Amino acid sequence: MFWRILWRLLYASRGRLALAILAVASGAAVCAALLNVDLDATDKLTREFRALGANVVVSATQNGDAAGTMDANLIGQISDLHLPDVVAAAPYLYLSANAKAGENNSGVIVAGTLFDEVARMNSWWKVDGLWVASRDDRTQCMIGELAASRLGLTPGKSVTVTYAGRAVTLQVRGIVTTGSSEDSQIFVVLPVAQELSGLGDRITLIQIMARGSAAEIQGVIHRLSTALPAAQVRPLRQIAEAEGQLLARIRGLLAGTVGLILVLTALGVLAAMAGLAVERRRDVGLMKALGGPVRRIMRFFLAEATAIAFTGGIAGCLVGMALSEWIGERIFSVSISPRLIVIPATLALMIVVSLAGALPLRLLGRVRPAEILRGE
Amino acid sequence: MMAALVQVEDLSKIYGGVRALDKVSFEVYPGEWIAIMGPSGSGKTTLINILGGLDRPTSGRALVDGVNVGTLGERELTRYRAEKVGFVFQNFHLVPYLSALENVMLAQYFHSIADEKEAAQALERVGLGDRLDHLPGELSGGEQQRVALARALINHPNLLLADEPTGNLDEANEQMVLEILRELHGSGHTILLVTHSQEIGRMADRRIELAHGRLVHIVANVS
Repeated sequence: MFWRILWRLLYASRGRLALAILAVASGAAVCAALLNVDLDATDKLTREFRALGANVVVSATQNGDAAGTMDANLIGQISDLHLPDVVAAAPYLYLSANAKAGENNSGVIVAGTLFDEVARMNSWWKVDGLWVASRDDRTQCMIGELAASRLGLTPGKSVTVTYAGRAVTLQVRGIVTTGSSEDSQIFVVLPVAQELSGLGDRITLIQIMARGSAAEIQGVIHRLSTALPAAQVRPLRQIAEAEGQLLARIRGLLAGTVGLILVLTALGVLAAMAGLAVERRRDVGLMKALGGPVRRIMRFFLAEATAIAFTGGIAGCLVGMALSEWIGERIFSVSISPRLIVIPATLALMIVVSLAGALPLRLLGRVRPAEILRGE
Repeated sequence: MMAALVQVEDLSKIYGGVRALDKVSFEVYPGEWIAIMGPSGSGKTTLINILGGLDRPTSGRALVDGVNVGTLGERELTRYRAEKVGFVFQNFHLVPYLSALENVMLAQYFHSIADEKEAAQALERVGLGDRLDHLPGELSGGEQQRVALARALINHPNLLLADEPTGNLDEANEQMVLEILRELHGSGHTILLVTHSQEIGRMADRRIELAHGRLVHIVANVS
Protein backbone atom coordinates (compact mmCIF):
# COMPACT_ATOMS: atom_id res chain seq x y z
CA MET A 1 0.00 0.00 0.00
CA PHE A 2 2.89 2.32 0.80
CA TRP A 3 4.29 2.10 -2.74
CA ARG A 4 0.82 2.36 -4.25
CA ILE A 5 0.10 5.59 -2.39
CA LEU A 6 3.60 6.89 -3.06
CA TRP A 7 3.16 6.32 -6.78
CA ARG A 8 -0.20 8.13 -6.70
CA LEU A 9 1.38 11.04 -4.80
CA LEU A 10 4.21 11.29 -7.30
CA TYR A 11 1.86 11.09 -10.25
CA ALA A 12 -0.58 13.62 -8.79
CA SER A 13 2.17 16.20 -8.20
CA ARG A 14 4.17 15.44 -11.31
CA GLY A 15 4.31 19.09 -12.40
CA ARG A 16 5.83 20.37 -9.19
CA LEU A 17 7.98 17.28 -8.81
CA ALA A 18 9.31 17.70 -12.34
CA LEU A 19 10.50 21.16 -11.31
CA ALA A 20 12.17 19.73 -8.22
CA ILE A 21 13.75 16.93 -10.28
CA LEU A 22 14.99 19.50 -12.79
CA ALA A 23 16.57 21.51 -9.97
CA VAL A 24 18.23 18.39 -8.57
CA ALA A 25 19.32 17.15 -12.02
CA SER A 26 20.90 20.53 -12.83
CA GLY A 27 22.68 20.61 -9.48
CA ALA A 28 23.78 16.99 -9.83
CA ALA A 29 25.08 17.58 -13.36
CA VAL A 30 27.30 20.47 -12.31
CA CYS A 31 28.38 18.74 -9.08
CA ALA A 32 29.21 15.48 -10.87
CA ALA A 33 31.09 17.35 -13.58
CA LEU A 34 33.12 19.40 -11.14
CA LEU A 35 33.82 16.45 -8.83
CA ASN A 36 34.98 14.45 -11.83
CA VAL A 37 37.15 17.34 -12.98
CA ASP A 38 38.52 17.67 -9.46
CA LEU A 39 39.38 13.98 -9.25
CA ASP A 40 40.57 13.35 -12.77
CA ALA A 41 41.72 16.64 -14.22
CA THR A 42 43.87 17.69 -11.29
CA ASP A 43 45.60 14.33 -11.49
CA LYS A 44 46.11 14.75 -15.20
CA LEU A 45 47.14 18.37 -14.81
CA THR A 46 49.75 17.23 -12.31
CA ARG A 47 51.06 14.90 -14.96
CA GLU A 48 50.91 17.71 -17.50
CA PHE A 49 52.90 19.94 -15.20
CA ARG A 50 55.42 17.17 -14.77
CA ALA A 51 55.71 17.08 -18.54
CA LEU A 52 56.85 20.69 -18.53
CA GLY A 53 60.46 19.71 -18.10
CA ALA A 54 62.87 19.03 -15.29
CA ASN A 55 61.85 19.31 -11.67
CA VAL A 56 65.09 18.08 -10.04
CA VAL A 57 68.64 19.25 -10.72
CA VAL A 58 71.88 17.48 -9.83
CA SER A 59 74.86 19.82 -9.80
CA ALA A 60 78.40 19.95 -8.47
CA THR A 61 78.89 20.74 -4.78
CA GLN A 62 80.66 23.93 -3.78
CA ASN A 63 83.74 21.82 -3.05
CA GLY A 64 83.95 20.72 -6.69
CA ASP A 65 86.46 21.81 -9.32
CA ALA A 66 87.03 25.42 -10.35
CA ALA A 67 84.91 25.08 -13.51
CA GLY A 68 81.95 23.92 -11.38
CA THR A 69 81.76 20.63 -13.24
CA MET A 70 81.34 17.07 -12.05
CA ASP A 71 82.12 13.58 -13.26
CA ALA A 72 79.94 12.35 -16.13
CA ASN A 73 79.84 8.91 -14.49
CA LEU A 74 77.04 10.28 -12.31
CA ILE A 75 74.68 9.66 -15.25
CA GLY A 76 75.46 5.97 -15.14
CA GLN A 77 75.07 5.93 -11.34
CA ILE A 78 71.62 7.49 -11.61
CA SER A 79 70.65 5.01 -14.30
CA ASP A 80 71.86 2.11 -12.11
CA LEU A 81 69.49 3.20 -9.32
CA HIS A 82 66.52 2.19 -11.58
CA LEU A 83 64.24 4.75 -9.95
CA PRO A 84 60.78 4.07 -11.39
CA ASP A 85 59.63 7.70 -10.96
CA VAL A 86 62.52 9.12 -13.01
CA VAL A 87 61.19 9.70 -16.52
CA ALA A 88 64.31 11.28 -18.00
CA ALA A 89 67.77 12.42 -16.90
CA ALA A 90 69.65 14.76 -19.22
CA PRO A 91 73.26 15.77 -18.50
CA TYR A 92 74.47 19.17 -19.68
CA LEU A 93 77.92 20.59 -20.17
CA TYR A 94 77.66 24.32 -20.81
CA LEU A 95 80.31 26.35 -22.61
CA SER A 96 80.33 30.03 -23.47
CA ALA A 97 81.59 29.79 -27.06
CA ASN A 98 81.64 31.68 -30.32
CA ALA A 99 79.57 30.67 -33.34
CA LYS A 100 80.12 31.62 -36.99
CA ALA A 101 77.81 30.97 -39.89
CA GLY A 102 78.82 32.59 -43.16
CA GLU A 103 79.29 36.29 -42.44
CA ASN A 104 77.44 36.11 -39.12
CA ASN A 105 79.34 35.81 -35.89
CA SER A 106 77.90 35.64 -32.38
CA GLY A 107 78.64 34.55 -28.84
CA VAL A 108 76.47 31.60 -27.80
CA ILE A 109 76.04 29.11 -25.01
CA VAL A 110 76.88 25.62 -26.23
CA ALA A 111 75.04 22.86 -24.40
CA GLY A 112 76.37 19.33 -24.74
CA THR A 113 73.71 16.82 -23.88
CA LEU A 114 71.94 13.52 -24.70
CA PHE A 115 69.25 14.42 -27.22
CA ASP A 116 67.01 11.42 -26.54
CA GLU A 117 66.75 12.39 -22.86
CA VAL A 118 66.20 16.06 -23.70
CA ALA A 119 63.44 15.15 -26.16
CA ARG A 120 61.70 12.95 -23.58
CA MET A 121 61.90 15.67 -20.95
CA ASN A 122 60.76 18.52 -23.18
CA SER A 123 58.10 17.02 -25.36
CA TRP A 124 56.46 20.44 -25.64
CA TRP A 125 59.47 22.03 -27.41
CA LYS A 126 58.65 23.09 -30.92
CA VAL A 127 61.19 21.80 -33.42
CA ASP A 128 61.57 23.11 -36.95
CA GLY A 129 63.44 20.26 -38.67
CA LEU A 130 64.46 17.15 -36.73
CA TRP A 131 66.00 16.09 -33.44
CA VAL A 132 69.57 14.82 -33.55
CA ALA A 133 68.95 11.07 -33.61
CA SER A 134 72.13 9.58 -32.15
CA ARG A 135 74.14 10.23 -28.97
CA ASP A 136 77.35 9.91 -31.04
CA ASP A 137 76.40 12.11 -33.97
CA ARG A 138 79.35 14.54 -33.95
CA THR A 139 78.37 16.19 -37.22
CA GLN A 140 74.98 17.70 -36.35
CA CYS A 141 73.52 20.11 -33.86
CA MET A 142 70.29 21.81 -32.90
CA ILE A 143 69.96 25.51 -32.30
CA GLY A 144 67.61 27.77 -30.41
CA GLU A 145 65.48 30.06 -32.56
CA LEU A 146 67.04 33.33 -31.31
CA ALA A 147 70.55 32.08 -31.92
CA ALA A 148 69.49 30.74 -35.33
CA SER A 149 68.01 34.11 -36.19
CA ARG A 150 71.16 35.98 -35.16
CA LEU A 151 73.33 33.65 -37.21
CA GLY A 152 70.90 33.38 -40.13
CA LEU A 153 70.68 29.62 -39.79
CA THR A 154 68.04 27.27 -41.06
CA PRO A 155 67.97 23.44 -40.98
CA GLY A 156 70.64 22.02 -43.28
CA LYS A 157 73.04 24.98 -42.97
CA SER A 158 76.41 24.76 -41.20
CA VAL A 159 77.79 26.57 -38.16
CA THR A 160 81.31 26.61 -36.76
CA VAL A 161 81.65 26.71 -32.99
CA THR A 162 84.90 27.82 -31.40
CA TYR A 163 85.93 27.50 -27.74
CA ALA A 164 89.39 28.05 -26.26
CA GLY A 165 90.99 27.74 -29.69
CA ARG A 166 89.22 24.47 -30.51
CA ALA A 167 86.64 24.49 -33.29
CA VAL A 168 84.04 22.16 -34.73
CA THR A 169 81.74 22.61 -37.72
CA LEU A 170 78.24 21.16 -37.43
CA GLN A 171 75.19 20.95 -39.64
CA VAL A 172 71.92 22.34 -38.17
CA ARG A 173 69.38 19.50 -37.96
CA GLY A 174 66.62 21.37 -36.18
CA ILE A 175 65.70 24.75 -34.74
CA VAL A 176 64.00 24.66 -31.33
CA THR A 177 61.55 27.12 -29.85
CA THR A 178 61.21 26.83 -26.06
CA GLY A 179 60.23 30.32 -24.94
CA SER A 180 63.12 30.17 -22.51
CA SER A 181 66.92 30.62 -22.32
CA GLU A 182 67.39 27.54 -24.52
CA ASP A 183 66.33 29.69 -27.48
CA SER A 184 69.78 31.31 -27.40
CA GLN A 185 71.76 28.06 -27.16
CA ILE A 186 73.35 25.59 -29.54
CA PHE A 187 72.81 21.93 -28.60
CA VAL A 188 75.48 19.39 -29.48
CA VAL A 189 76.03 15.78 -28.40
CA LEU A 190 77.88 15.55 -25.08
CA PRO A 191 81.22 14.23 -26.48
CA VAL A 192 81.51 17.22 -28.84
CA ALA A 193 81.07 19.67 -25.94
CA GLN A 194 83.51 17.71 -23.80
CA GLU A 195 86.16 17.79 -26.59
CA LEU A 196 85.62 21.53 -27.11
CA SER A 197 85.94 22.18 -23.38
CA GLY A 198 89.13 20.21 -23.09
CA LEU A 199 87.94 19.08 -19.65
CA GLY A 200 87.45 15.44 -20.59
CA ASP A 201 84.64 13.40 -19.13
CA ARG A 202 82.90 16.25 -17.21
CA ILE A 203 79.39 17.72 -17.09
CA THR A 204 77.94 20.90 -15.54
CA LEU A 205 74.64 19.46 -14.29
CA ILE A 206 71.98 16.82 -14.78
CA GLN A 207 68.36 17.78 -15.24
CA ILE A 208 65.91 15.13 -14.05
CA MET A 209 62.21 14.84 -14.75
CA ALA A 210 60.48 12.84 -12.03
CA ARG A 211 56.79 12.03 -11.98
CA GLY A 212 54.37 11.74 -9.07
CA SER A 213 53.17 13.89 -6.22
CA ALA A 214 55.33 16.40 -4.38
CA ALA A 215 56.00 13.73 -1.75
CA GLU A 216 57.07 11.20 -4.37
CA ILE A 217 59.41 13.70 -5.95
CA GLN A 218 60.84 14.45 -2.54
CA GLY A 219 61.46 10.70 -2.21
CA VAL A 220 63.39 10.71 -5.49
CA ILE A 221 65.50 13.64 -4.26
CA HIS A 222 66.24 11.82 -1.03
CA ARG A 223 67.37 8.65 -2.82
CA LEU A 224 69.54 10.59 -5.25
CA SER A 225 71.15 12.60 -2.43
CA THR A 226 71.99 9.39 -0.60
CA ALA A 227 73.35 7.68 -3.69
CA LEU A 228 75.33 10.69 -4.96
CA PRO A 229 77.12 12.20 -1.96
CA ALA A 230 79.55 14.07 -4.25
CA ALA A 231 76.74 16.03 -5.88
CA GLN A 232 74.09 18.47 -4.84
CA VAL A 233 70.49 17.38 -5.53
CA ARG A 234 67.75 19.97 -5.32
CA PRO A 235 64.22 20.46 -6.59
CA LEU A 236 63.26 23.20 -9.00
CA ARG A 237 61.11 24.84 -6.34
CA GLN A 238 59.56 27.63 -8.34
CA ILE A 239 57.91 25.18 -10.70
CA ALA A 240 56.75 22.88 -7.90
CA GLU A 241 55.35 25.75 -5.85
CA ALA A 242 53.66 27.47 -8.78
CA GLU A 243 52.15 24.14 -9.74
CA GLY A 244 50.96 23.52 -6.18
CA GLN A 245 49.44 26.99 -5.90
CA LEU A 246 47.68 26.72 -9.23
CA LEU A 247 46.25 23.30 -8.40
CA ALA A 248 45.16 24.51 -4.95
CA ARG A 249 43.37 27.45 -6.57
CA ILE A 250 41.68 25.24 -9.12
CA ARG A 251 40.53 22.83 -6.41
CA GLY A 252 39.35 25.71 -4.22
CA LEU A 253 37.36 27.14 -7.10
CA LEU A 254 35.80 23.75 -7.81
CA ALA A 255 34.92 23.16 -4.14
CA GLY A 256 33.42 26.64 -3.83
CA THR A 257 31.35 26.17 -6.97
CA VAL A 258 30.10 22.77 -5.80
CA GLY A 259 29.10 24.31 -2.45
CA LEU A 260 27.24 27.13 -4.17
CA ILE A 261 25.48 24.72 -6.51
CA LEU A 262 24.36 22.57 -3.57
CA VAL A 263 22.85 25.61 -1.85
CA LEU A 264 21.09 26.68 -5.06
CA THR A 265 19.80 23.14 -5.59
CA ALA A 266 18.44 23.01 -2.04
CA LEU A 267 16.70 26.36 -2.65
CA GLY A 268 15.21 25.03 -5.90
CA VAL A 269 13.87 21.94 -4.13
CA LEU A 270 12.71 24.12 -1.23
CA ALA A 271 10.67 26.34 -3.56
CA ALA A 272 9.01 23.35 -5.22
CA MET A 273 8.37 21.60 -1.91
CA ALA A 274 6.97 24.71 -0.22
CA GLY A 275 4.28 24.83 -2.91
CA LEU A 276 3.70 21.13 -2.48
CA ALA A 277 3.37 21.51 1.30
CA VAL A 278 0.55 24.01 0.85
CA GLU A 279 -1.18 21.64 -1.59
CA ARG A 280 -0.79 18.70 0.78
CA ARG A 281 -2.10 20.34 3.98
CA ARG A 282 -5.64 19.11 3.37
CA ASP A 283 -4.52 15.58 2.54
CA VAL A 284 -2.34 15.39 5.65
CA GLY A 285 -5.17 16.71 7.82
CA LEU A 286 -7.49 14.09 6.39
CA MET A 287 -4.94 11.29 6.82
CA LYS A 288 -4.48 12.30 10.45
CA ALA A 289 -8.27 12.34 10.93
CA LEU A 290 -8.37 8.78 9.60
CA GLY A 291 -5.89 7.71 12.29
CA GLY A 292 -2.70 8.05 10.24
CA PRO A 293 0.34 8.35 12.52
CA VAL A 294 2.51 11.40 11.75
CA ARG A 295 5.57 9.22 11.16
CA ARG A 296 3.76 7.04 8.66
CA ILE A 297 2.38 10.06 6.81
CA MET A 298 5.75 11.84 6.73
CA ARG A 299 7.37 8.69 5.38
CA PHE A 300 5.46 9.27 2.14
CA PHE A 301 6.92 12.73 1.79
CA LEU A 302 10.46 11.71 2.71
CA ALA A 303 10.21 8.89 0.17
CA GLU A 304 9.07 11.48 -2.35
CA ALA A 305 12.11 13.66 -1.62
CA THR A 306 14.39 10.61 -1.92
CA ALA A 307 12.77 9.65 -5.23
CA ILE A 308 13.39 13.19 -6.47
CA ALA A 309 17.02 12.97 -5.36
CA PHE A 310 17.53 9.60 -7.10
CA THR A 311 15.81 10.50 -10.34
CA GLY A 312 17.38 13.92 -10.60
CA GLY A 313 20.70 12.66 -9.26
CA ILE A 314 21.10 9.82 -11.75
CA ALA A 315 20.01 11.95 -14.71
CA GLY A 316 22.33 14.72 -13.52
CA CYS A 317 25.27 12.33 -13.09
CA LEU A 318 24.98 11.15 -16.68
CA VAL A 319 24.86 14.71 -17.98
CA GLY A 320 27.64 15.69 -15.58
CA MET A 321 30.00 13.04 -16.89
CA ALA A 322 29.57 14.35 -20.41
CA LEU A 323 29.95 17.90 -19.11
CA SER A 324 33.20 17.05 -17.33
CA GLU A 325 34.65 15.74 -20.59
CA TRP A 326 33.70 18.98 -22.28
CA ILE A 327 35.18 21.08 -19.44
CA GLY A 328 38.35 18.99 -19.53
CA GLU A 329 38.86 19.42 -23.24
CA ARG A 330 37.76 23.04 -23.55
CA ILE A 331 39.19 24.53 -20.38
CA PHE A 332 42.06 22.33 -19.22
CA SER A 333 42.92 20.71 -22.57
CA VAL A 334 43.07 17.27 -20.99
CA SER A 335 40.79 14.34 -21.63
CA ILE A 336 38.78 13.42 -18.54
CA SER A 337 37.73 9.86 -17.79
CA PRO A 338 34.55 9.20 -15.79
CA ARG A 339 35.28 8.25 -12.16
CA LEU A 340 32.63 5.87 -10.79
CA ILE A 341 33.03 7.17 -7.23
CA VAL A 342 31.49 10.44 -8.45
CA ILE A 343 28.07 8.74 -8.93
CA PRO A 344 27.48 7.59 -5.32
CA ALA A 345 29.08 10.79 -4.01
CA THR A 346 26.76 12.97 -6.11
CA LEU A 347 23.71 10.85 -5.23
CA ALA A 348 24.52 11.12 -1.52
CA LEU A 349 24.88 14.90 -1.87
CA MET A 350 21.59 15.13 -3.74
CA ILE A 351 19.75 13.06 -1.11
CA VAL A 352 21.05 15.33 1.65
CA VAL A 353 20.16 18.43 -0.38
CA SER A 354 16.69 17.11 -1.28
CA LEU A 355 15.89 16.17 2.30
CA ALA A 356 17.04 19.61 3.40
CA GLY A 357 14.91 21.15 0.66
CA ALA A 358 11.96 19.02 1.78
CA LEU A 359 12.01 20.58 5.25
CA PRO A 360 8.75 22.49 4.65
CA LEU A 361 6.98 19.14 4.29
CA ARG A 362 7.95 18.32 7.87
CA LEU A 363 5.80 21.23 9.01
CA LEU A 364 2.85 19.23 7.73
CA GLY A 365 3.29 17.01 10.77
CA ARG A 366 1.92 19.91 12.85
CA VAL A 367 -1.27 20.19 10.84
CA ARG A 368 -4.36 19.96 13.07
CA PRO A 369 -7.02 17.85 11.34
CA ALA A 370 -10.04 19.64 12.83
CA GLU A 371 -8.84 22.99 11.42
CA ILE A 372 -8.16 21.53 8.00
CA LEU A 373 -11.51 19.75 7.84
CA ARG A 374 -13.28 22.96 8.83
CA GLY A 375 -11.61 24.49 5.79
CA GLU A 376 -9.27 26.87 7.67
CA MET B 1 -29.01 -1.92 32.43
CA MET B 2 -26.74 -1.72 29.39
CA ALA B 3 -23.54 0.35 29.85
CA ALA B 4 -23.33 3.57 27.84
CA LEU B 5 -20.98 3.56 24.87
CA VAL B 6 -20.62 7.35 25.03
CA GLN B 7 -20.69 9.35 28.23
CA VAL B 8 -20.45 13.12 27.97
CA GLU B 9 -20.17 14.94 31.29
CA ASP B 10 -20.11 18.74 31.65
CA LEU B 11 -18.24 19.04 28.39
CA SER B 12 -17.10 22.57 27.53
CA LYS B 13 -15.00 24.00 24.73
CA ILE B 14 -13.88 27.61 24.53
CA TYR B 15 -12.34 29.05 21.36
CA GLY B 16 -10.60 32.35 22.17
CA GLY B 17 -13.32 33.54 24.54
CA VAL B 18 -16.22 32.03 22.58
CA ARG B 19 -17.97 29.21 24.43
CA ALA B 20 -18.65 26.68 21.64
CA LEU B 21 -19.84 24.05 24.13
CA ASP B 22 -21.11 24.81 27.60
CA LYS B 23 -21.35 21.99 30.13
CA VAL B 24 -23.05 19.50 27.87
CA SER B 25 -23.92 16.09 29.35
CA PHE B 26 -25.63 13.07 27.80
CA GLU B 27 -25.17 9.35 27.22
CA VAL B 28 -25.41 7.17 24.12
CA TYR B 29 -26.03 3.44 24.32
CA PRO B 30 -24.72 0.78 21.94
CA GLY B 31 -26.81 0.45 18.79
CA GLU B 32 -28.46 3.85 19.21
CA TRP B 33 -28.89 6.39 16.39
CA ILE B 34 -28.58 9.88 17.80
CA ALA B 35 -29.28 13.01 15.80
CA ILE B 36 -27.47 16.13 17.00
CA MET B 37 -29.45 19.15 15.95
CA GLY B 38 -29.41 22.90 16.31
CA PRO B 39 -28.78 26.08 14.42
CA SER B 40 -25.40 27.03 12.94
CA GLY B 41 -22.86 27.83 15.65
CA SER B 42 -24.69 25.80 18.27
CA GLY B 43 -21.65 23.53 18.83
CA LYS B 44 -22.75 20.42 16.90
CA THR B 45 -19.52 19.99 14.92
CA THR B 46 -17.38 20.87 17.95
CA LEU B 47 -19.12 18.13 19.93
CA ILE B 48 -18.64 15.53 17.22
CA ASN B 49 -14.98 16.59 16.68
CA ILE B 50 -14.25 16.10 20.39
CA LEU B 51 -15.91 12.68 20.38
CA GLY B 52 -13.91 11.81 17.25
CA GLY B 53 -10.59 12.84 18.80
CA LEU B 54 -10.08 15.67 16.33
CA ASP B 55 -10.36 18.35 18.98
CA ARG B 56 -9.80 18.54 22.74
CA PRO B 57 -12.29 19.77 25.34
CA THR B 58 -11.52 22.73 27.56
CA SER B 59 -13.18 21.01 30.52
CA GLY B 60 -15.47 18.10 31.28
CA ARG B 61 -15.21 14.52 30.13
CA ALA B 62 -16.02 12.66 26.92
CA LEU B 63 -15.79 8.90 27.39
CA VAL B 64 -16.12 6.57 24.42
CA ASP B 65 -16.09 2.87 25.21
CA GLY B 66 -14.61 3.76 28.59
CA VAL B 67 -11.79 5.88 27.12
CA ASN B 68 -11.58 9.54 28.17
CA VAL B 69 -10.81 11.08 24.81
CA GLY B 70 -9.74 14.44 26.25
CA THR B 71 -6.85 12.96 28.24
CA LEU B 72 -5.29 10.88 25.48
CA GLY B 73 -1.78 11.74 24.30
CA GLU B 74 -1.14 12.48 20.61
CA ARG B 75 -0.13 8.90 19.81
CA GLU B 76 -3.07 7.31 21.69
CA LEU B 77 -5.42 9.76 20.04
CA THR B 78 -4.16 8.67 16.62
CA ARG B 79 -4.80 5.01 17.52
CA TYR B 80 -8.21 5.98 18.90
CA ARG B 81 -9.18 7.62 15.60
CA ALA B 82 -8.01 4.61 13.63
CA GLU B 83 -9.72 1.99 15.82
CA LYS B 84 -12.73 3.38 17.72
CA VAL B 85 -14.45 5.82 15.40
CA GLY B 86 -15.44 6.18 11.77
CA PHE B 87 -15.95 9.65 10.28
CA VAL B 88 -18.26 10.83 7.51
CA PHE B 89 -17.99 14.51 6.57
CA GLN B 90 -20.36 16.83 4.77
CA ASN B 91 -17.67 17.54 2.12
CA PHE B 92 -16.79 13.84 1.75
CA HIS B 93 -13.07 14.53 2.24
CA LEU B 94 -11.70 11.84 -0.03
CA VAL B 95 -8.05 11.93 -1.14
CA PRO B 96 -8.45 13.22 -4.70
CA TYR B 97 -5.58 11.28 -6.31
CA LEU B 98 -6.54 7.90 -4.81
CA SER B 99 -9.21 5.72 -6.37
CA ALA B 100 -12.41 4.80 -4.48
CA LEU B 101 -10.81 1.48 -3.55
CA GLU B 102 -7.55 3.10 -2.44
CA ASN B 103 -9.41 5.65 -0.31
CA VAL B 104 -10.96 2.77 1.62
CA MET B 105 -7.65 0.91 1.75
CA LEU B 106 -5.94 4.02 3.14
CA ALA B 107 -8.05 3.73 6.32
CA GLN B 108 -7.12 0.04 6.54
CA TYR B 109 -3.45 0.90 6.04
CA PHE B 110 -3.50 3.37 8.95
CA HIS B 111 -5.40 0.88 11.11
CA SER B 112 -3.31 -2.22 10.38
CA ILE B 113 -2.92 -3.88 6.99
CA ALA B 114 -4.61 -2.91 3.72
CA ASP B 115 -6.80 -5.72 2.38
CA GLU B 116 -7.91 -5.02 -1.18
CA LYS B 117 -10.54 -7.76 -1.23
CA GLU B 118 -12.22 -6.57 1.97
CA ALA B 119 -12.11 -2.96 0.77
CA ALA B 120 -13.74 -3.97 -2.52
CA GLN B 121 -16.49 -5.83 -0.62
CA ALA B 122 -17.14 -2.74 1.52
CA LEU B 123 -17.62 -0.68 -1.63
CA GLU B 124 -19.88 -3.35 -3.14
CA ARG B 125 -22.06 -3.15 0.01
CA VAL B 126 -22.67 0.56 -0.64
CA GLY B 127 -23.43 -0.13 -4.30
CA LEU B 128 -20.10 0.94 -5.79
CA GLY B 129 -18.77 -2.41 -6.95
CA ASP B 130 -18.39 -1.00 -10.46
CA ARG B 131 -16.63 2.19 -9.35
CA LEU B 132 -13.61 0.75 -7.54
CA ASP B 133 -10.96 2.32 -9.73
CA HIS B 134 -12.65 5.67 -10.20
CA LEU B 135 -11.04 8.77 -8.77
CA PRO B 136 -13.27 10.96 -6.54
CA GLY B 137 -13.42 13.54 -9.32
CA GLU B 138 -15.04 10.92 -11.54
CA LEU B 139 -17.79 10.13 -9.00
CA SER B 140 -21.03 11.98 -8.20
CA GLY B 141 -21.51 13.57 -4.76
CA GLY B 142 -23.67 10.67 -3.59
CA GLU B 143 -21.11 8.14 -4.80
CA GLN B 144 -18.31 10.02 -3.05
CA GLN B 145 -20.30 10.02 0.18
CA ARG B 146 -20.87 6.28 -0.13
CA VAL B 147 -17.10 5.80 -0.57
CA ALA B 148 -16.67 7.87 2.61
CA LEU B 149 -19.21 5.61 4.39
CA ALA B 150 -17.35 2.47 3.25
CA ARG B 151 -14.10 4.04 4.45
CA ALA B 152 -15.63 4.98 7.83
CA LEU B 153 -16.89 1.43 8.42
CA ILE B 154 -13.96 -0.59 7.04
CA ASN B 155 -12.19 -0.89 10.41
CA HIS B 156 -15.40 -1.87 12.27
CA PRO B 157 -15.47 1.18 14.57
CA ASN B 158 -17.56 1.26 17.77
CA LEU B 159 -18.99 4.62 16.82
CA LEU B 160 -19.92 6.18 13.47
CA LEU B 161 -19.72 9.98 13.51
CA ALA B 162 -21.43 11.72 10.61
CA ASP B 163 -21.30 15.51 10.23
CA GLU B 164 -24.20 16.50 7.96
CA PRO B 165 -23.50 13.61 5.59
CA THR B 166 -26.36 14.58 3.26
CA GLY B 167 -25.78 18.34 3.40
CA ASN B 168 -24.21 18.46 -0.06
CA LEU B 169 -26.39 15.87 -1.77
CA ASP B 170 -29.45 16.04 -3.96
CA GLU B 171 -32.61 14.31 -2.79
CA ALA B 172 -32.01 11.02 -4.63
CA ASN B 173 -28.50 10.67 -3.26
CA GLU B 174 -29.66 11.80 0.18
CA GLN B 175 -32.18 8.97 0.25
CA MET B 176 -29.54 6.50 -0.87
CA VAL B 177 -27.15 7.55 1.95
CA LEU B 178 -29.98 7.56 4.53
CA GLU B 179 -30.97 4.10 3.45
CA ILE B 180 -27.42 2.88 4.08
CA LEU B 181 -27.44 4.55 7.52
CA ARG B 182 -30.78 2.90 8.27
CA GLU B 183 -29.29 -0.48 7.35
CA LEU B 184 -26.26 0.17 9.52
CA HIS B 185 -28.52 1.10 12.41
CA GLY B 186 -30.53 -2.01 11.82
CA SER B 187 -27.40 -4.13 12.00
CA GLY B 188 -26.49 -2.68 15.40
CA HIS B 189 -24.12 0.21 14.58
CA THR B 190 -24.05 3.19 16.93
CA ILE B 191 -24.47 6.41 14.98
CA LEU B 192 -24.09 10.06 16.00
CA LEU B 193 -25.29 12.21 13.16
CA VAL B 194 -25.23 15.99 12.94
CA THR B 195 -28.10 17.40 10.86
CA HIS B 196 -30.20 20.48 10.30
CA SER B 197 -32.99 18.42 8.83
CA GLN B 198 -36.00 17.71 11.05
CA GLU B 199 -36.93 14.82 8.78
CA ILE B 200 -33.54 13.11 9.26
CA GLY B 201 -33.71 13.97 12.94
CA ARG B 202 -36.96 12.08 13.25
CA MET B 203 -35.33 8.95 11.76
CA ALA B 204 -32.95 8.73 14.78
CA ASP B 205 -33.80 7.07 18.11
CA ARG B 206 -33.18 10.29 19.97
CA ARG B 207 -32.51 13.92 19.10
CA ILE B 208 -30.02 16.03 21.09
CA GLU B 209 -30.78 19.68 20.50
CA LEU B 210 -28.11 22.31 21.08
CA ALA B 211 -28.31 26.11 21.10
CA HIS B 212 -25.40 28.48 21.80
CA GLY B 213 -23.31 25.52 22.96
CA ARG B 214 -25.86 24.39 25.52
CA LEU B 215 -27.94 21.25 25.50
CA VAL B 216 -31.53 22.46 25.18
CA HIS B 217 -33.25 19.10 25.38
CA ILE B 218 -33.06 15.46 24.41
CA VAL B 219 -36.09 14.12 22.59
CA ALA B 220 -36.82 10.43 22.16
CA ASN B 221 -38.54 9.68 18.84
CA VAL B 222 -41.48 7.37 18.94
CA SER B 223 -41.26 4.88 16.12
